[in-house]
Amino acid sequence: MRDGRFSIITPEGVRLLLTPAGPAPRAFAWAIDFSIFAAFGIALSMINSVTDSKTVYGLSLVLLFLVYWGYPVIGEVYFGGRTFGKKALGLKVVRADGLPVGWRESSLRNLLLVVDFMPMMYSAGLLCMLLDERFRRVGDIVANTQVIYDEKHAKRGQITQVEPMAAPFPLSPEQQRNLIDLMEREQSIPQARLLELASLAEPLTGATGERSLQRLRAIVAGINQ
Amino acid sequence: MRQQQFEQENAKLWQEVEAILGNQIGQRASQLPQLYRRLCQSLALALQRGYSPALCAHLQKMVHDCHAQMYGKMIPQPLSFYRLVMVDFPCRVRQEWKLLAFAMLAFWGVAIVTGLLVWFTPQWAYSFMSPGDLEDIHRMYSANSIKEGRGGSGGDIQMFGFYIWNNVSIGFRTFAAGLLGGFPALLALAFNGLNLGVVGAWLSHDPETRHNFWSFVVTHSSFEVTGLIISGQAGMYLGLALLRPGRFSRRHALQRASQHMFPVMVGAALMIAFAAFFEGFWSASSAVSDQWKYAVGGFCWLSVLLFFVFAGRGNR
Repeated sequence: MRDGRFSIITPEGVRLLLTPAGPAPRAFAWAIDFSIFAAFGIALSMINSVTDSKTVYGLSLVLLFLVYWGYPVIGEVYFGGRTFGKKALGLKVVRADGLPVGWRESSLRNLLLVVDFMPMMYSAGLLCMLLDERFRRVGDIVANTQVIYDEKHAKRGQITQVEPMAAPFPLSPEQQRNLIDLMEREQSIPQARLLELASLAEPLTGATGERSLQRLRAIVAGINQ
Repeated sequence: MRQQQFEQENAKLWQEVEAILGNQIGQRASQLPQLYRRLCQSLALALQRGYSPALCAHLQKMVHDCHAQMYGKMIPQPLSFYRLVMVDFPCRVRQEWKLLAFAMLAFWGVAIVTGLLVWFTPQWAYSFMSPGDLEDIHRMYSANSIKEGRGGSGGDIQMFGFYIWNNVSIGFRTFAAGLLGGFPALLALAFNGLNLGVVGAWLSHDPETRHNFWSFVVTHSSFEVTGLIISGQAGMYLGLALLRPGRFSRRHALQRASQHMFPVMVGAALMIAFAAFFEGFWSASSAVSDQWKYAVGGFCWLSVLLFFVFAGRGNR
């Protein structure tokens, strides 16, 4: 796991790459979820102080119970492994085999938050995450789940079509891949940086600046087409 | 093969897969397994031939989505919850009967010992609770406050909400904390047993409060105490898996134990929540006579007993 990912080999013989999420983004996600819960609690207590009725008080405690224990489970089971906090941070909960969590895993991992909390402010959970290579807290280990980054479909950049040109000397597959990668990301790199990079390729193109960039484009077109 | 040619050849396949992924129940969803296998092959080729990282990442993401779509579908099992509660729950409680006996000893043993102690030498009560608390409890069960009740149905709902919030959470915490070697669960049980013993014996001394107290607790305690003891049992099972994993690694032992005890935890939580209904709306009702409360309480205890002895047998 040198690149911070771990892989699962599927029955079809390909690897799924998952990126486990560390303590910091998860703590932020928790903070967001906690503020939602706190806001809910404050709203309930305001309603209580206005109505001042025992019935409303009783019902709001039942509601508080359901939200306290149920909110993360509902979020994880019905909304693709995400509570609001996790969604905001781009995280999601999956089973260790990369599939969506069910009732069983989700409720177990959230029940065991009690252990992760001990002795105070989730220090057991933090320690466990730091010791585990996939940043799992106790609840994750017991329920066999995993918090990962929810990878979005990145928009693929288009390679500018130019007249292809052969490279002056054979390039290794690694070098070819790097060049294609650069040209696919051309639109997202600032112009000045692009020229700087192109100038670095002088041994290949025999030129610097704009001219070198044009030749790089042509070489990449030659590799690609 | 050049990347561009490869992309052109596979474009149709990728579009079809994306279309199926886009609307989850497309008419052609049945073709997904076949298309998915071809997609996996194209990813393997792209990686092996060293096509650009962006293309590989794109295919990788598509494969991941397909994988979740194909293998992550939960098959609806209409009776699974019923089976969980009515079969798995009692069967697993019985299966771990030694732990159950231990948990019961922790609760009832402590309750009976402290109860007898306080019954024969009442001054011992002050060693366990402060005089102020004992006074408060005594006042709570005295004739006047029982007659007043909780001030109508509003008070009942208020207490019902409180019992749900408080008691079920205690059940959950007992279970989870059991993971730490089982001792916290045991301590929680013993502590609750101690409270019952002291308060019960203390209030039994005074004929005025005796029946008020016992008629109040007899019904809901059948579900509440049993639920608590069973959450303690489930928690201890987890803790034991950590202490004595047997032939498994500790992680695997914990995972197996938690899977095994999940129905027990659900069942215990349901029992405690069920108890809250009785505790809220029945136990404190001043309209029902003590005799009725004892009768219904006895019936509840009997049904709990019969449930755990017989439920789920022959159904496994």
